[in-house]
Amino acid sequence: MVEGRAPIVHTKALTKAYGEHVALNALDLQIKAGATGLLGANGAGKSTLLKTLLGLIQVTSGEGHVLGHDIRTEGPSIRQRIGYMPEYEALDPRMDGIHQVRYAGELLGMNPVVAMQRAHQCLEYVGLGEQRYRQIDGYSTGMRQATKLACAIVHDPEMIIADEPSNGLDAAARDFMLQTLDTTVRNGQRSVLMASHLMDDVEQVCERIVLLHKGRLVAEGKIEDLKAIDREYEVHVWGAADAMERGMLDRGLRVRRQGRIMRVADDRDDVPREVLEVAASTGAQVRRLHTYEASLEDLFIAIMERLGHDVKSSEDLLAGGGMG
Amino acid sequence: MTEEPAEEAAVEQTNEDVRFDEASPVTGASRIEAAYSADDTGQASVAKPGASGQVFTQTYLPWTGTLNPRWARNYAVYRHHMLGLVKSGHRPWPILVRVYLVLVLIGSIGDIFPVLLGSLFGDGLGQVFMVSRDSLYAHVLGFFPRNVLYYPVVTALIVGTMISEDRLNGTSALYFSRPITRFDYVAMKYLAAATVLFILCVFSLFVYYTVEVLAMGRGWAWIVDTFPILLGATAAGMLLVVTYTSLGLAMSSVSTNGFFPAIGLLALVLGSKSVAFLVALIFEQDVLYLFSPYDALANVGQALVGTESNYEIPWTWSLASVVGMNVLSLYLLANRVASMEVTRE
Repeated sequence: MVEGRAPIVHTKALTKAYGEHVALNALDLQIKAGATGLLGANGAGKSTLLKTLLGLIQVTSGEGHVLGHDIRTEGPSIRQRIGYMPEYEALDPRMDGIHQVRYAGELLGMNPVVAMQRAHQCLEYVGLGEQRYRQIDGYSTGMRQATKLACAIVHDPEMIIADEPSNGLDAAARDFMLQTLDTTVRNGQRSVLMASHLMDDVEQVCERIVLLHKGRLVAEGKIEDLKAIDREYEVHVWGAADAMERGMLDRGLRVRRQGRIMRVADDRDDVPREVLEVAASTGAQVRRLHTYEASLEDLFIAIMERLGHDVKSSEDLLAGGGMG
Repeated sequence: MTEEPAEEAAVEQTNEDVRFDEASPVTGASRIEAAYSADDTGQASVAKPGASGQVFTQTYLPWTGTLNPRWARNYAVYRHHMLGLVKSGHRPWPILVRVYLVLVLIGSIGDIFPVLLGSLFGDGLGQVFMVSRDSLYAHVLGFFPRNVLYYPVVTALIVGTMISEDRLNGTSALYFSRPITRFDYVAMKYLAAATVLFILCVFSLFVYYTVEVLAMGRGWAWIVDTFPILLGATAAGMLLVVTYTSLGLAMSSVSTNGFFPAIGLLALVLGSKSVAFLVALIFEQDVLYLFSPYDALANVGQALVGTESNYEIPWTWSLASVVGMNVLSLYLLANRVASMEVTRE
């Protein structure tokens, strides 16, 4: 992994407003090298952030640096060192894969001969080695996504911005795309900033996340650290479930219940002992008791619903006792 | 990741597990196995496909080369559009467009053939076609066939899809997510379209003039006499190239398909000419010629070459009109290209 290097993206009070609509609101962001997921609902400001990081739009206030370049004045330099994989169609359907990737390299300033050599390597890497002379018009969605990734990595950028890389892919193609991104990070020592709606995809590739909501940063940090805010015990109860739930609530435990399955927040010492005591006193059978680790999706919902939008980092989330 | 040990195990397992004897069910699969893979003892040696794994090793290969500066990136855009006309692997121009361009190229240098014939058989035959004020003007701004069938149609075919297809296919993201500025993007596309028109219109003019000099053995006195006319025709040709390209690219930038810009440009050039002509004929009002790109160019061209003017309006007004058309077109073009998105179109 490429952990430990300086942040590749750094913003300070970054604000972008379109008239009265504030798309990015005083964003203080630090993205470290490695794989980072950019999460947020529609309208959260993901696309605006990406355009800002690429140096394509002028910020209203604040500052930001990508790979050491100022996003306000050094857009072309940033785009030369970044590989951007767009979410939507960005390929000429009448060209064949190899020449499309070669042209993408030429647009970055690569010599045509070198760009052609590199296009072969990149298409081989993304699994299109045998398909590279086929016209893009005949490519499947997975092949098109792979071609877009090849276009993004043709110049071996230090950082790849992948906007919804698994969009529209079937299970096999999705797995391969995520594996390719993962290999790029682990084997290639490159950084990936991956915007996605799919929490599972982000969890599979990324070590860290940045969560935006209505233009504001609501959480950033390591996924495993963030998950610690929502750790629970899952209890499967047989008989007297109502009494057991009441008993636990009386003891001040926080309980979520669905039928005979309850989840008890692990927010104090020795919760399992207390659960078993309540079970013993109410006569309920505890058939199963184990820790429950929240998925990223659970985490997303928990943060959005419970913690408001003022939390800035995993440390804040943990310190704030955000389970309230 | 290779899965060789797993596959070998699968083969061995198959050899042990699958046997054929009298009691074996005669299915399609067993018949095929028996026919192609069973040995004398009735043992199948059929390899089962590996359950998982890929047949290649995915390794990220770094690249340590150097990226060239801005001029190389811009040249790549220009080259992509120009080379696409003559070879594959670059911008794919439809075959009909290429064929039409060849025909127009032959047509636009067509006036050298009478000159060559004239040089062989004497002045009498080629007199009409030889270099003069009128023939140089006609080479650039003659209405039929050049400004009906050649230049506006070529512009429509070349320019029509140049920007609109980037909107349609989303390929604008390919440009703007790289260090290509919007100015560079437009400038290179403009230059590529203008180059094609330049070759057909202005370069062929020089070919025509040069053939006359060489074939007829013209001397310095003749060249000194006619060269200013050639320069006037060149200036008129350049004005035509620039104006048609500006109008065409502006049309292309407001659309997501190639049909509207092409038809729009033809309607603008030929439609405005027809309307202006009819209004002048019926109402004896020449003012609409100012709004017809062809007529405005023709009026200026006649002044530059020095032929007798067909128009009653001053050529300076027409020049102002041509400048205005270009400014408006470029303003529209700049605005529309500025609105092209990288993240979503």
